[in-house]
Amino acid sequence: MRFQYLIEQAMTNLRRNVLVVFAAVVAVLVMLTLVFGTIVLRWSIDQDIGRWDDNVRVIAFLSDDLGIAEIDAIQAEVQQWDEVEAVVYFSKAEALIEFRELFADQQSLIQVVEEDPSVLPASLRIAPVEAADYSTITDRLVVIPGIREVSAADEAIDALVARSSRLRTFAFWIVVVLGASAVVLIANTIRIAIFARRDEISIMKLVGAGNWFVRIPFFLEGIIEGVLGAALAVVLIWGVRGSIAELFSTATDAGALVVPAEFMIRQALMVLGFGAGTGLLGSAFGMWGFLRD
Amino acid sequence: MIRIQDVSKVYEGGTAALRDVTLEINKGEFVFLVGPSGSGKSTLIRLMLRQELPTEGKIWVAGKLITDLPAWKVPLLRRSIGTVFQDFKLLPTKTVFENVAFALEVIGRPRHVIRNQVPQVLNLVGLGAKADRLPNQLSGGEQQRVSIARAFVNRPLILLADEPTGNLDPATSVGIMRLLDRINRTGTTVVMATHDHAIVDAMRRRVVALERGRIVRDQSRGAYETGEQRVVTGQQRTLAAEQPETDGEL
Repeated sequence: MRFQYLIEQAMTNLRRNVLVVFAAVVAVLVMLTLVFGTIVLRWSIDQDIGRWDDNVRVIAFLSDDLGIAEIDAIQAEVQQWDEVEAVVYFSKAEALIEFRELFADQQSLIQVVEEDPSVLPASLRIAPVEAADYSTITDRLVVIPGIREVSAADEAIDALVARSSRLRTFAFWIVVVLGASAVVLIANTIRIAIFARRDEISIMKLVGAGNWFVRIPFFLEGIIEGVLGAALAVVLIWGVRGSIAELFSTATDAGALVVPAEFMIRQALMVLGFGAGTGLLGSAFGMWGFLRD
Repeated sequence: MIRIQDVSKVYEGGTAALRDVTLEINKGEFVFLVGPSGSGKSTLIRLMLRQELPTEGKIWVAGKLITDLPAWKVPLLRRSIGTVFQDFKLLPTKTVFENVAFALEVIGRPRHVIRNQVPQVLNLVGLGAKADRLPNQLSGGEQQRVSIARAFVNRPLILLADEPTGNLDPATSVGIMRLLDRINRTGTTVVMATHDHAIVDAMRRRVVALERGRIVRDQSRGAYETGEQRVVTGQQRTLAAEQPETDGEL
């Protein structure tokens, strides 16, 4: 009964100041729409980056005269580097199979390679921990004897990585600037609700209502505003997630880029939690200095 | 029941509302606090409710040293005190029933207790038939009865009344005093600040007179003023006639 009573109080507060509540909800909505949109956009860019074969960014071609023990030694050493996630040995035979697949329609090329196996060397395929680490890895590889040539993913990856990190910065500032204004707007609705109910509150205190009993409806009000804004943002971004994913995609069939539901649900829950947190913070600010004895 | 020891209260800006006040009120007493405006009556009541803390001194209410009470325990203190004010402090959007029920709701009393106790206390104050009215549909006296019902519904040990008849005409005041007297007879300690001479003189209860923040007189079965023979008005005769009567209903 008490819980129901507290919820009813919060709902009464919300109904009483529809306009200011609306402004607060819209502030949360705008903030979290931009944040959630950015999350989906970054996902699609990371997909693009990831299209480079299981994150392989660097290929070290090995001299044909290396023995198995020497290759193992190089692989073991590279594997120890901090910036290296994984190293896979790719034999001459595997290279030939890959070449055949890639150039299946050009029999003359395949013929050349089959006649001279030295054209396709064995290689180490290296996945860096961070995509941007590829240049460091390249620099360390070229000085190792027995490595004939190093080839790395080009600036296109760099650009994508930079874009992804710029988006992260953008999301951060959205949270700071719009988050602050959302908190202030929610705090404002709480102040107005406290003011509207000041007689009621003074009577509540007079007859011995506990401090939390007086405060909880206001916290609930703030949380409801935050979650409402977040929920609208989730619905909005969910609806246009395909278009966002296509926005910067370099894939030729961008339409095929499907944002997985599991990813969306996980991020949506985070966005809702963030909305609730914003509401809680706003209510706390709104009550600051009020509702003491 | 209430013990006030060497209490002084100086407000910001240096106004001394109370100076070195010591007072003891026993369980079941009916005490009038009298004195001109600004003599410190209301400050004393606010201190007993712990709406304010004294600048110096100690106050015990219902066995607790309330001047040392942590803030989170203040609500519990207030549940043992009923309060009545000159301006009634009713919620205009709630009915008579809801206004009284409110006092029980906010301290978490279950619904069946509320359904049971509210009509009982409304009958006691004579408003059983007006439970569904809004405060603005009631006379001033009836509104004050609602506020007394709200103060008493939780069966407090102490009832603090700050000028409860201040907004009421003499005839209506008699009814309110009769009610406070009945409540006092249930064993509830009543402390009432007033400057209504007629009521104090007619009731002949303990009188504590304040002047510029000091207790200048503490007299059992006292009058509003000392030594002065006052003409007994009709209203006083009515109240005086109530005195021997005992109420077995409560």
